[in-house]
Amino acid sequence: MDYIKEKAPPIREDRLAACQAYGGSCCDLNSKSKKGCLYGSKRTFSQSQGCQLNLSLAILNTIRDSVIIVHSPIGCGGGLVANAGVSKNFQKLRDSNAFGLRWINTNLDENDVVNGGEQKLKEAVLYADKEYRPSAIIVMNSCVPALIGDDIDSLLEELQNQVAAKIVPIHCEGFKTKIMATAYDAVYHGILRNLVDQNGNSQNEEIITDEFEELKKKYRISRTVNLLNVSSMSRVDEVELVRLLKALDLNVRILPCYAHPDDFEDSYEAALNVSICATHDDYFVEHLKSRYNIPFILRTIPIGISNTNKWLLDIARFFDLEDQARKLIENETRELEKVLGPYREELKGKTAFVAGGEIRIITTAELLHSLGLEILGLRGYHFDVYGENLLEEYLNEVPESDKTIINIGTGQPFEQANLLAKLKPDVYVGHPGGNGWAAKQGVPVFPLFGQQYDYMGYLGVFEVARRLARTLRNTSYSRNVSRHAKLPYHSDWYSQDPFSYIDENIPEDIAL
Amino acid sequence: MSKFVERPRYLCALGGAIATLKALPRTIAVLHSATGCGGNIANAINNGAGYLGSGYCSGQALPSSNVTEKDIVFGGEERLTEQIENTIKLVDGDLYFVLTGCMVEMIGDDINNVLKKFQDRKIKVIGAETGGFRGNSYKGYETVLETLFRDFVEPKDETNPKLVNLFGVVPIQDVFWKGNLTALKALLNKLGYEVNTFFGEGETLDNLRNSASAALNIVVSETFGVEAAKVFEEVHKVPYIKVPFPIGDRGTENFLRTVGNALGEEKAFVDRVIKEEQTRYYSYFERIADVYHDLDLQRYAVVVGDSNYTQALTKFLADDLGWLPELVVITDFLTDEQKETVSKGFSGYESGLTPRVVFDTDASSVGGYISEHWGQNTGEKYFEGFNPGFIVGSAFERDVAESFGVPQLTVTYPITNRIVMDRAYAGYSGGLRLTEDLIGTLVGSR
Repeated sequence: MDYIKEKAPPIREDRLAACQAYGGSCCDLNSKSKKGCLYGSKRTFSQSQGCQLNLSLAILNTIRDSVIIVHSPIGCGGGLVANAGVSKNFQKLRDSNAFGLRWINTNLDENDVVNGGEQKLKEAVLYADKEYRPSAIIVMNSCVPALIGDDIDSLLEELQNQVAAKIVPIHCEGFKTKIMATAYDAVYHGILRNLVDQNGNSQNEEIITDEFEELKKKYRISRTVNLLNVSSMSRVDEVELVRLLKALDLNVRILPCYAHPDDFEDSYEAALNVSICATHDDYFVEHLKSRYNIPFILRTIPIGISNTNKWLLDIARFFDLEDQARKLIENETRELEKVLGPYREELKGKTAFVAGGEIRIITTAELLHSLGLEILGLRGYHFDVYGENLLEEYLNEVPESDKTIINIGTGQPFEQANLLAKLKPDVYVGHPGGNGWAAKQGVPVFPLFGQQYDYMGYLGVFEVARRLARTLRNTSYSRNVSRHAKLPYHSDWYSQDPFSYIDENIPEDIAL
Repeated sequence: MSKFVERPRYLCALGGAIATLKALPRTIAVLHSATGCGGNIANAINNGAGYLGSGYCSGQALPSSNVTEKDIVFGGEERLTEQIENTIKLVDGDLYFVLTGCMVEMIGDDINNVLKKFQDRKIKVIGAETGGFRGNSYKGYETVLETLFRDFVEPKDETNPKLVNLFGVVPIQDVFWKGNLTALKALLNKLGYEVNTFFGEGETLDNLRNSASAALNIVVSETFGVEAAKVFEEVHKVPYIKVPFPIGDRGTENFLRTVGNALGEEKAFVDRVIKEEQTRYYSYFERIADVYHDLDLQRYAVVVGDSNYTQALTKFLADDLGWLPELVVITDFLTDEQKETVSKGFSGYESGLTPRVVFDTDASSVGGYISEHWGQNTGEKYFEGFNPGFIVGSAFERDVAESFGVPQLTVTYPITNRIVMDRAYAGYSGGLRLTEDLIGTLVGSR
């Protein structure tokens, strides 16, 4: 893969034929997705969702010692208020001197729509550099400047000579794609072009002054992995995964969330890239492979015993450490099984509905299944080949799962409302934006992820078990609220097909 | 010529419009925009307005046409028609209000062409252009009100002399709007008037629909809702007055006198109402006479926020509580004319204080103004400085409070470190609430 010479990455509808509208059974989705005919599906009624600009900010708001400039009218990036305090606290966990999140909006108005917004962007960049002296200035391009033709790349190239900070343009214009996850490609595109190997050291033949030092360095790199984290995971999750990797004698470099811009410079000095979410990282790891020859592991998220084992073995196999990994897995699972018994008793026979990102929901469903719950339905924000791979494994490992309902949509709580009314699960395990609606319907809720909580590795299994059991011990709040809250849909909606407003729009030549 | 803003304390016109409609009962906003506008605004509102939540049909449930670059080759009007049609089919509301985002306006979609198709339905469908580049949240509020006043409020031939409308308290941007409206209504009820606020507790769309019978429109702001009031006067011939948003004794006394006067109420009657309220107020307010003086709880204060809250908070701190709010930072987009009007609201204090008022939209400037006003210690042995200090502002002010080592209370948007339900800061009861929260912060670590 090599899109780095382009100013902007391709959208995921094109690059991955990603689907964002589907409703049916797991096995039907699996087969249709393989045929590649779902990328054109759309909705004739839709509800609000985020865009690639919002979602790019989810990663970029964590980067230390940086200032974000959102080049747009005053509203874009407004959701950052939610991160202000949180980002600072979590940044400080990695560096006690971190100053947290700073951002500027270029405030494009009616005047700028006519005359162009480049002047305002220039002023903002110069101000950011002078006022904060950050390591990086991250410039997010939005719909309006894209449509009016602001050439931010030329302007920023010129400005780079005038400022000390490294300017990182991010092309994340919302209206270009319905697949919100294109955001991750936009972020990594900017990182690859502007922060990785900027000194060109990967190409230079270093003069070897000390052969022993050189050997030590080569050895260290041969045992170094880049662990690609996600902003929705907690520090404890990170610590757990690092613990497991260190047990295999590996050095771990953590990127990109909560990293410092300088951390990307030598990121190609690694033996292996370890992604924990294909949705986030496929663009990044594919490019690091084609440009710097770094192999990668991308198959799954280490959530649940089964997937954590697979993840560890994938990595261990690469380093020829399978035996060591098997011993580690044996120890960990034995310790874990000792304590899971009582929770399995409590959770036995309960039913669940899981909603969120495609990779996370499938692995979380497997985890819940291993704790004794029955999965009635899944909702994924989008679906592509990476989801396909995981879904295939899930269908093979979890009995009766081919009949499980799966709904693909970014948000779209109206479909969820219909499904939950029909399926009546004992618990909804979901994503912010959807959790409140489930609660209002009287379904107890357990969040799919949270920055303060642990979900990954073996510790994550224990944590999910004990917190889920606790949650279900008292569900009064959602029950109370559901008696008095009214969802906004006409009552006849609940007797209709939940996917009535999805038009699969399958091209004729594939429809057969 | 506007400039960039460092950490804005508001959204765009579309954000303000969505927020305003979210607060209006049984009203369904239908967004015609690119993907993302609705989601971004939902995040901002749900988290920045004291964890307000998704409401009836907002948050991720807000209907939206979600047009992308590929869809808008031929324009988005067809998609919008489909979206409105299906929203009416699926979503239960009494009023459907179409809003537009930047993209669809820039490609020339004319929502009026689409709205025409729904004109002869029983269901009311109206709309307004609220593209983000038109202004900030307050612009959205004005646009929505103007549209409602023109296209939804029914013309009335008769005036009800005991009915008034009250606006200028901007839902969600004023995070305590619901409680505030309840408090202000109660005060006017005491003067013998029925009040429509459109967004208040227990009100329905009928309050809005029939509001043209009112004798007077009371705009509780020098800046917000004024343009809408002008439209109301133009279309329905209802006059308006402006009165500053009141917190505590001094502010509310002024509110009651100004409104009472405009409505032709006898001074003696208004005096009685004020006296009754004051008696209750001081019966509680005097409680802290001991702790305030035992612990020397007077503070220098900095007030940071919008033009409604800053004048109300500063007057309360100076004239009610006896603090020294010497510096005020007003963060709105204001014209020079508005700045002049707003500045006047900081003079004539009974306490004699003359606060320094600055207009600055950048969050990071606050620290600089504090240093400028109270000086910076360059290693002197004897130095006063911003000590003892207190900052009343938004969640953004926590950083600067920490750097000066002073306590802080979050009152203005964004509010991410408090949950807000029916709490009010308006009126007499609001003054007590604010006192509890301010002094409570000071004793909070005992």
